[in-house]
Formats: sequence, C-alpha cells, structure tokens
Amino acid sequence: MNRSAPRSIDQYLRQLREELAGADSALIQDALYDAEEYLRAEVAAHPDKSESDVLELIASTYGAPDEVAGAYRDTEIKVKAAMATPRKEPHTALGKFFGVFLDPRAYTSLFFMLLALATGIIYFVLAVAGLSLSAGFSVLIIGVPFFLIFMAVCRVVSLAEGRLIEAMTGVRMPRRPVYQGAALGFWARIGEMLRDRRTWSTIAYLILMLPIGIVYFVIAVAGLSVSLSLIVAPIATVLAQAGWFGVGGIEAFSDAQPAWAFHTGFGIPVLGLAGLLLLTSLMHLARGIGRLHAMFAKTMLVARSAPGTPEPAESGAPLAA
Amino acid sequence: MDDSNERKFQKELNGGLVGLVLLAVLAESNEDLYGYEIAKRLANANEGTSIFKEGTIYPVLRALSAGNLLTSRIVPSYSGPPRRYYRITEQGRSVLAEWKLIWASTRDFVDRFTETENSEIGHSS
Repeated sequence: MNRSAPRSIDQYLRQLREELAGADSALIQDALYDAEEYLRAEVAAHPDKSESDVLELIASTYGAPDEVAGAYRDTEIKVKAAMATPRKEPHTALGKFFGVFLDPRAYTSLFFMLLALATGIIYFVLAVAGLSLSAGFSVLIIGVPFFLIFMAVCRVVSLAEGRLIEAMTGVRMPRRPVYQGAALGFWARIGEMLRDRRTWSTIAYLILMLPIGIVYFVIAVAGLSVSLSLIVAPIATVLAQAGWFGVGGIEAFSDAQPAWAFHTGFGIPVLGLAGLLLLTSLMHLARGIGRLHAMFAKTMLVARSAPGTPEPAESGAPLAA
Repeated sequence: MDDSNERKFQKELNGGLVGLVLLAVLAESNEDLYGYEIAKRLANANEGTSIFKEGTIYPVLRALSAGNLLTSRIVPSYSGPPRRYYRITEQGRSVLAEWKLIWASTRDFVDRFTETENSEIGHSS
C-alpha cells in the first residue's frame, strides 16, 4: 500500500478512517477523536512550523494511520478478552436454559428495561419541547442559538445513553463525542449538522424511547410480578396452612377454597415450577431485548461513518496486521 | 527486511509494557495528565523518540480507564477537541505495584540469559 503520507490533519483523519473501515463504528469515532486531540495539540505546540511540516514527522511520533488503526484494533480485541468474565459454557440444554441466571448481562438488561420508562419520559419531553420551542423561536432572533443549545443537549444525552447501554448490555458504544472540525465556519457547521443523518436519527431515538420504554417497563414489571408470585406461592401455601397468615380474611389456599387443579398438595409445587420457568424465560427475553436494543441504539445514535465518507475504492485497502 | 523484523519484535514486546509505563507515569505525576502530555513525557524521557508510537497509548489509556485503573475528566481545549485528563485510582496503584514486581522478575529472568552471551549458557551444544 503505497499511499502518499498525509499532509494535513483532515487528510490524516480521512486515511485513519479508511484504515479502520469495517471496524466497530464506536471504535472509529473514538480513534478519530484521540488522533484529532493529538494532532491539533502537536500543531499548536509548534507555532513556527506549518501544518504540513508537522504532519510530515507525525508518522515517526504518533504513528502512520495504518499503525494507529492496528493499535486500536488490537487493543480492542485484548480488552474484550480481558474484560469478559471467563464463564464456563454449560453444555446441556437444561444448563443453557438456567445458565442465564449466571449471566450478569441478563440482570443488567432487565434493570435497563425498568429504567427505560424513566429515561424514555425524560428523552421524550426533552425532544418534543426542544423541537417545538425551536420551531416557535425560529422567527425570533433567539431561534438559532436556542436550536444550537438544543442540539448540543441532544448530543450529550445520546452519549450518556450510549454509556448506559454499554454498561447494561456490554455492546460497544462511543466513549467520545463526535468532534466537528474546527476548520468549518459557524454557518457551515450548522448546515453540516442539519444535513447529518445522525442529528435527526438521534432526535427520533429520543422520541421513540417513550413508547419503547413503556413496553419494556410493562414486560419487566408484569413478568417479574407474575413469576415471583408463582414462585412464592408454595411457600405461602405452607405457611397459610400452618395458620401463620390469611389473605383478606380468606384463609389462603385453605380447604374452604374451591378445589381446582393447583389446589392440591401435588399441584402447589407445579405453580412454583411454572413461576421458575417464567422467570427464566423473562431473563432470556431481557437479555435478548438488551442486545436488540443496543443494535437499535447504535444505528440511531452512532454515525455509520462520519461526514465525508471515504471513497469506496480505497476503503477496502488491506490492513497492516 | 531487517527493519520490519525489529519493529515487529519491538511491537510484540510493547504489548503489556505500554500499560505498565502509563500507570507508572500517572502514579508519579502530581497532576492529572491528558494523552498528548503523557505522550510528550514519554518521548522526552527517551531523547525525543518514544519506544512506542504515541498513537498506541490512547487506546491503552481508554482500556485502563475502562478497567477502573484510571479515572478521567473532560476539559475543553482551545486547540482542538476537549481533552480527557487521566488520574490513577487506588485500584490502579495496587495493580501497578503487582505489575512492577512481575516486570522486575521478568526482566531479571531475561537478563540472566541475555547478559551472559559468552558464558556457559551459550555453550549448550
């Protein structure tokens, strides 16, 4: 690969993005951010040299784009391997089914589902209020500044949501905000932002989180309450029959109740078993929803590849190992 | 090519060492440091050229941070995107202490072979 060495920060970042083509979009965003921090600091530290002079030496200090891309790929793989809790994979079908209780992701996903209602309401209010106020203010002089503040808040919220999702589901999300080139002018940056697909998909995500959050919350609460009550039922029965407590004046599970299938010494444990199966299914469901939601959030909140998509001919360039 | 072989060997050696050096630099420092500053300190300590490419420390910094060995905060900057300043955590310090011991014993072990080129170990045939 005999490509001309980058002579400007923009060229360097473009080459780095090409080298990382196919990598996780969140990783690309982080790598570009780090490189930009370094390169701008390096240029600022040498006011006597031009940008292209500084860039000429960058391959020997910061590293050429392909080296840096390789470092990010390697580190990501190592960290993933190091961070993943070594878990013995159960082999039997039964072990796999109940193994979900040992997976921390299932618990965190379930927690995320419960939390989604609260965050959904906040996001929805933020997005709807921001959009409608922006529309209303657009005829006034404060229209543009207000819209910009709204967009900035949206970006911060989307980054925070990404961090939350990564913590809950383990799916890689950006750790750095998107940095927009300082080279662009004020109006050009606003135009760029309005043309950016991500701007609108972020707002759509914030609005959609309310209905989605309601669904998640209902699934989690209904599933938990039904399955946990079924699991507790046998214990409650034993205690009630021992005369320890009654429910609402009726002796729970006593002989005074109409006899139905589960109201026998044999049937009661079946209730508990059903509760356990339901709870396990709920954990599987939560883990699955967590994964799906992370994929959804990634398509909505993370740019597929930031503005100025690389030419397709070069993006498939072979990578340094 | 000799040069690429050397670089490959250096790169393989650097694998775990970058993390150790970064933790040590941050443990020595009285103030929080950001990526560029750390890179420059490393370069200055070795007469201007760092053993490893400065671009490779950023992903390691983030990995250490994700492992709770470092904490970080963001500070706006005039020259570019906001900078992330890192500081070592208590957990980071205890990990550093362990890693130092491992490094010392590894180095001694390697030295035992490499520093006695003409002694009895060389005549194993």
